Amino acid sequence: MANLLWLQGGACSGNTMSFLNAEEPSACDLVTDFGINILWHPSLGVELGDNLQKLLRDCVSGAIALDIFVFEGTVVNAPNGTGEWNRFAGRPMKQWVKELSAAAGYTVAIGDCATWGGIPATAPNPSDSQGLQFLKRAQGGFLGAGYKSKAGLPVINVPGCPAHPDWISQIVVAVATGRGGDLALDDLQRPKTFFQSFTQTGCTRNMHFAYKVSATEFGQRKGCLFYDLGCRGPMTHSPCNRILWNRQSSKTRAGMPCMGCTEPEFPFFDLAPGTVFKTQTVMGVPKDLPKGVDKKGYIALTGAAKNAAPKWAEEDLFVV
Amino acid sequence: MAVQTLDISPVGRVEGDLDVRVDIENGVVTNAWTQAELFRGFEIILRDKDPQAGLVVTPRACGICGASHLTCAAWALDTAWQTEVPRNAILARNLGQLVESIQSQPRYFYGLYAIDLTNKKYRNSPFYEEAVKRFAPFTGSSYEAGVTISGKPVEIYALLGGQWPHSSYMVPGGVMCAPTLTDITRAWSLLEYFKKNWLESIWLGCSLERYEQIKTYDDFMVWLDERPEHANSDLGFYWRMGLDVGLHQYGGGVGKYVSWGYLPHEDKYQKPTIDSRNAALIMKSGVYDGATDTHVLMDQKFLRENTTHAWYDEGGADVHPFDRTTRPVQKNDIDHAGKYSWATSVRHTDVGRLEAGPFARQLIAGGRHGESWQHYDGLVLDMYKKMGGPNLHLRQIARMHETIKLYRQAEHCLREFRLNDPWYIKPKERDGRGWGATEAIRGALCHWIDVQNGKIKNYQIIAPTTWNVGPRDGAQARGPIEEALVGTPIADTSDPVEVGHVARSFDSCLVCTVHAHDRKTGKELARFRTA
Repeated sequence: MANLLWLQGGACSGNTMSFLNAEEPSACDLVTDFGINILWHPSLGVELGDNLQKLLRDCVSGAIALDIFVFEGTVVNAPNGTGEWNRFAGRPMKQWVKELSAAAGYTVAIGDCATWGGIPATAPNPSDSQGLQFLKRAQGGFLGAGYKSKAGLPVINVPGCPAHPDWISQIVVAVATGRGGDLALDDLQRPKTFFQSFTQTGCTRNMHFAYKVSATEFGQRKGCLFYDLGCRGPMTHSPCNRILWNRQSSKTRAGMPCMGCTEPEFPFFDLAPGTVFKTQTVMGVPKDLPKGVDKKGYIALTGAAKNAAPKWAEEDLFVV
Repeated sequence: MAVQTLDISPVGRVEGDLDVRVDIENGVVTNAWTQAELFRGFEIILRDKDPQAGLVVTPRACGICGASHLTCAAWALDTAWQTEVPRNAILARNLGQLVESIQSQPRYFYGLYAIDLTNKKYRNSPFYEEAVKRFAPFTGSSYEAGVTISGKPVEIYALLGGQWPHSSYMVPGGVMCAPTLTDITRAWSLLEYFKKNWLESIWLGCSLERYEQIKTYDDFMVWLDERPEHANSDLGFYWRMGLDVGLHQYGGGVGKYVSWGYLPHEDKYQKPTIDSRNAALIMKSGVYDGATDTHVLMDQKFLRENTTHAWYDEGGADVHPFDRTTRPVQKNDIDHAGKYSWATSVRHTDVGRLEAGPFARQLIAGGRHGESWQHYDGLVLDMYKKMGGPNLHLRQIARMHETIKLYRQAEHCLREFRLNDPWYIKPKERDGRGWGATEAIRGALCHWIDVQNGKIKNYQIIAPTTWNVGPRDGAQARGPIEEALVGTPIADTSDPVEVGHVARSFDSCLVCTVHAHDRKTGKELARFRTA
């Protein structure tokens, strides 16, 4: 049995929608099988009005144990630090967030907006948005670098735009089944169990990457998306090709370049002209290389790969 | 005269942040103001960015209608760049949007809307006990089945775009994917699974073929009485309970409706332009005026926005979105005589304020305007006339009815793919103005883009909720939800479920807060006090 409260700040509800795609456990299973007591959620909650305000105040005071506080969306600070551009239940949302996170056993930031600021914090960041404990890669964010929840952990960052439902539900199940102590976080406070491996890990285009066979344009049945189409799979930490999306596929499998949305810089290059779906290069070499590979190594590697590439690698692989 | 007052802060289960102020006299709402309470500034973020930035950013304006935003963003660039879009790509875009909308039907109906039927207000209804059994959150039989199966249709989206929500697989010139036979057969299997385990078995209580024989209000009544399975299906049950508890007696609204139309035909829009769109659509565009019973086509050139009552510093004139500058005010104090919402008021130059959504689409589907080959369906318009005009019950029925047609269109896409034909034709980037539109499940959505010097000069979005939840306009006319709230009976001011019904029947993309004010002084009164 664990009480869970889920609120949304500067959000699109995408993480909620993603969460509702879950199976094993589904959102309903979490309630009926794992004893997760969803105190309130903007799309699912039954309480309204005065009852909800009382519930929120009881969570803040400790009258109701707030075991897990999930926040989706940015913390909106505009205008002038007041947060009035995002009001909820009669006051700026940021005031609720401050008080609730102080009372929470575990505080979980779901999605890029709550972790790093995400799309709303893209320059010029009109809503003066922050993530809970980061703004882009800078630690601190709204709650400050020193924040720890009652369980002694900083904000658990579950990034992604959106986060995969399993990343969300497995964290909740871990806490509900007494495995909160097993949560190991990386230096960006992401659960390592999901974010140690790369988006490329398990990608169906890995052979094309290895032989440097490029998908030079969209709608093809072969080729790696890294060389020309701006795919960030080799330098992005996520399990998108280990734990498939909607149980079926992943963006890179379907033919869409990874945009690096589990990393704090997303959207990369602030979407400047010429940067969308195009690999940024200097003298023909990608500016951003696979994690840990240097330029010299990359040139040696791809030169050898080209020479070794078998004939079939240039033909369609994902055929009708 | 007694003025009853209430303050719900917030009402949940609408997406986003909305406050509503209502005046109540003798248990009936006499005036209303809707206030959108969140500003993120997507149009500002998109300024000076890569022309394709909208493909990444706009699906993330709304995680619920992301495919619809992506559809608009892609077609807007197609018209600006004068691309050629292959037949397969049109079908793949349509299919992605369709499965997102099909997903929304059970998720919205059970998750957001039907829970209200378990409200204690209805405990004396003969349907109450059964409603609790079906619709109680998380544990109700239909709630659990419906919410869980709602994830299935978007598995098809993942086959095309890698994931739902928030893919960007639709791009100017086509789509990124090139599905194979196994993708198509998997998609068929997912559709069949959805049909067998929910659409026919739980939703309709009959085959699609039997349901599709219903063409008129009278046909619907015959269907309802024909077999207990029909009457006891969730559609049949909702129809009967809705009438029993009086949902057909309020929540009508402005009585004028808009749809951009949707689903461009795969053979008719391969060289997309703004002007050729209307004649290329399977589901025709239109404006329906219930007062005069007339249908006309809709066109983006008729659209105007007004910020007199919205938190923007852009003057009081009606402007076309290409001329918007999106300048938010710094201090968003609530002033009901002045500015009180982040939503702008949107109007048609000739017809005024319009309601968007599935109800609007179905009333427009009943018109004989447009091309002879375009979709026609007179059922909801017939119900509208037989029931004496709009109400919140019919708004819901229209949405439920549409599910079957969305399903059929998804089948059409799967049949029509030619797997060995192209999915993408690389376009030439150029400057220019573009416009893309569609119908998100909750209503009319469109994007305008102006590309100059290889970057975005201006990007503007009008969402369905902008149409519906917008504040008063320059002529002080109420917006559609404001209008729909007027006349709503409130049985119990401590639990004004009726206001929730009306707000949720529009599937507003906002979280809703209702403030009640003393009508005479305009002063906010103590919560739940009855004066």
